[in-house]
Amino acid sequence: MNFDLDADQRDIAAGARDFFRGSASPAAARAGLEGGALEPGRKALADIGFLGITVPESAGGSGRPLLDLAVVAEQGGAVLAGPSLVTAARAAVLLADAPDLAAQLAEGGAFAVLDGPVDGSAPSVDAADATLFLGLDGGALVVGEGEVVPGRPLDATRGLASVRLTSRRVLAEDAGELWARARQVGAVVMAAEDLGGADRCVQLGVAYAQEREAFGRRIGSYQAVKHMLVDAWVGVEQLRSLVWWAAWAADCNPAELPLAASAAKGCAAASFERAASTLIQVHGGIGFTWEHDAHLFWRRAKVDRLLLGDEAEHLDAVARLAVAGALGA
Amino acid sequence: MDFDDSPDEAAYRSRVRAALEEHADELLRLAPGQESVDARMQEAEMRRTQRVLHEAGLVGVTWPREYGGQGGTLLQQAIVAQELARFRVPALINHIGMGMCGPTVIAHGSADQRDRYLARLLRADDVWCQLFSEPASGSDLAALRTTAVRDGDDWVVNGQKVWTTLAHVSDYGILLTRTDPDRPKHAGLTMFVVDMHAPGVTVRPLRQMGGQSDFNEVFFDDVRIPDAERLGEPGEGWRVALTTLMNERVTIGGAGTAIGAPVEEFARHAGERLPALDPDRQVLARQAVGRAVVAALGARYTGYRRLTVLSQGGIPGPEASAGKLAGTEAAQLMADAGVRLLGDEAVYAATADGDDRWQRTQSWLPGISIAGGTDQVLRNILGERVLGLPPEPRLDKTAPFSGGRR
Repeated sequence: MNFDLDADQRDIAAGARDFFRGSASPAAARAGLEGGALEPGRKALADIGFLGITVPESAGGSGRPLLDLAVVAEQGGAVLAGPSLVTAARAAVLLADAPDLAAQLAEGGAFAVLDGPVDGSAPSVDAADATLFLGLDGGALVVGEGEVVPGRPLDATRGLASVRLTSRRVLAEDAGELWARARQVGAVVMAAEDLGGADRCVQLGVAYAQEREAFGRRIGSYQAVKHMLVDAWVGVEQLRSLVWWAAWAADCNPAELPLAASAAKGCAAASFERAASTLIQVHGGIGFTWEHDAHLFWRRAKVDRLLLGDEAEHLDAVARLAVAGALGA
Repeated sequence: MDFDDSPDEAAYRSRVRAALEEHADELLRLAPGQESVDARMQEAEMRRTQRVLHEAGLVGVTWPREYGGQGGTLLQQAIVAQELARFRVPALINHIGMGMCGPTVIAHGSADQRDRYLARLLRADDVWCQLFSEPASGSDLAALRTTAVRDGDDWVVNGQKVWTTLAHVSDYGILLTRTDPDRPKHAGLTMFVVDMHAPGVTVRPLRQMGGQSDFNEVFFDDVRIPDAERLGEPGEGWRVALTTLMNERVTIGGAGTAIGAPVEEFARHAGERLPALDPDRQVLARQAVGRAVVAALGARYTGYRRLTVLSQGGIPGPEASAGKLAGTEAAQLMADAGVRLLGDEAVYAATADGDDRWQRTQSWLPGISIAGGTDQVLRNILGERVLGLPPEPRLDKTAPFSGGRR
């Protein structure tokens, strides 16, 4: 039994933490709500190699396991980085047989993966400033350019927009299974980003509860506050276990991926929302101001819980798969 | 990352499996759907089962060899626990003795006590219980009122203990008493080994809300305990009790074994019962099933992370308390969904064909949120010792117990 990160993965996490802390921040997420650019942005993510972690070496990527990408994504989530590594992970799966496009992806090409119909997509991650779109069109995987219709952002770091393809080229017929797997991989990486965000919420909440005083003592000493933070922390630790398991399954036991991905994404929706709500509540009045970072995590949580399948969809999938024997004997 | 055993672990596991197969005929095993056996009914079989397992080297895995143990690792103990569960062997009759009493005797007993007690405990020649909680001191254990008063070479004990698992079949117990009420509550305590067959010890079963009797209350009326049966110095009882409680956490928190039914059994039940529900109810029921499965898997894989710590030679820290908290919640979600999947039969204590697995679990789980550390005490431990939040101010740590509010 060795269910822990290895020394390499811990190094990768430490490097990613340094990179993201130096290149992105909740302040940028706040500025994004008033038109500011995403940070660190595609170019910086490409330059450090994060967009190509799971792209094969033959296509200019690093050819590393999804678990490595999940470890990096967690660190990005902690500072609300954009664009999302979900797009890189999902596109890398879809472009497995299109090395030229995969190379473009790793180099920072402005890709987005469209959910829903390609002639009027659902709000899709990182589509707002993308120029090349991957979509599922009648069972075929297509790539094309498109007309982008963003909505008013609740969380600007997700770059959500609807897209209508204006051109399309078929990359693979009968791509339904590939598409489903890419979406599961995307769900794992989003759960990893949510893990980073939720973990950061607990850290910030704990730090404030350790110093803020009310009624003559620090508020973290009150069980009403303490237990709220503990419940959020327990949720984060459960989520961490499910994210690691799901990423490991994608790499080493693909038959388990559908169950593990849905378990991780369903858990992420609830855990991140609870952690972000707790962060606001622990801070009291300052916690719901524009200046404070709490609402930026809360916004990410409120949006992510609905992307790539909401909690209800993933719980339903977990139930169906478990009943069908996906847990084993 | 790798969920398989290391070569050493795999070899150990296959030795454990072979030993269980070899002795299968001599072991008490649970029937399908059965979770525990009643020591009241099957005491002799339970003692024999432990003795056989001890002879096979599967009892006292982490105990030093000089006391009859195997000198093994915490991970080997976890492997044995997993394999015993897989082989449907019920909890051993001396699980309290091995998990808590024995380690306390090892740490604080005299050489004479260790020689007299430990090997017999592992063989289940003697069964042990832990006499800590009282009617007026549960979570606040240090507020206990059972007194021990020195009289010549003996101490004379009076008072009442409660929630004492296995007291009705026990030969010995570790007993926490107040020996100096004029000192602050934690400072006036002393621990003893008590002979449960001594005059003045009375054991009465407590019937729980589900109808079963896992616990007892124990009365002490002028029970004489020789001073040689003291564990640790007079007034050091709290420190001795902390040894016991830390071992309790290792026992309950580790191993990655589920509380209540395994999630696979829950999934099978859901598969059998879902099709019988109205289609619109099925949608709602699948939400409840999915939520419970996610909680159970989250608890399981978090348990695997703790097991990894053991595998690398570490010991479980206070974060193990999260395992009980999360495992209890998962068990509650599964029991609730498990009962509701029964449809109209969910309002009865058993189905028409007599199956009461889910109802029984439902009525047993409220106790799990309380026993071995309430959910709230666990949250305090996690908040203070893992997250580093400040403790509640306390008024009771410095004042003499006799002058404080009781």
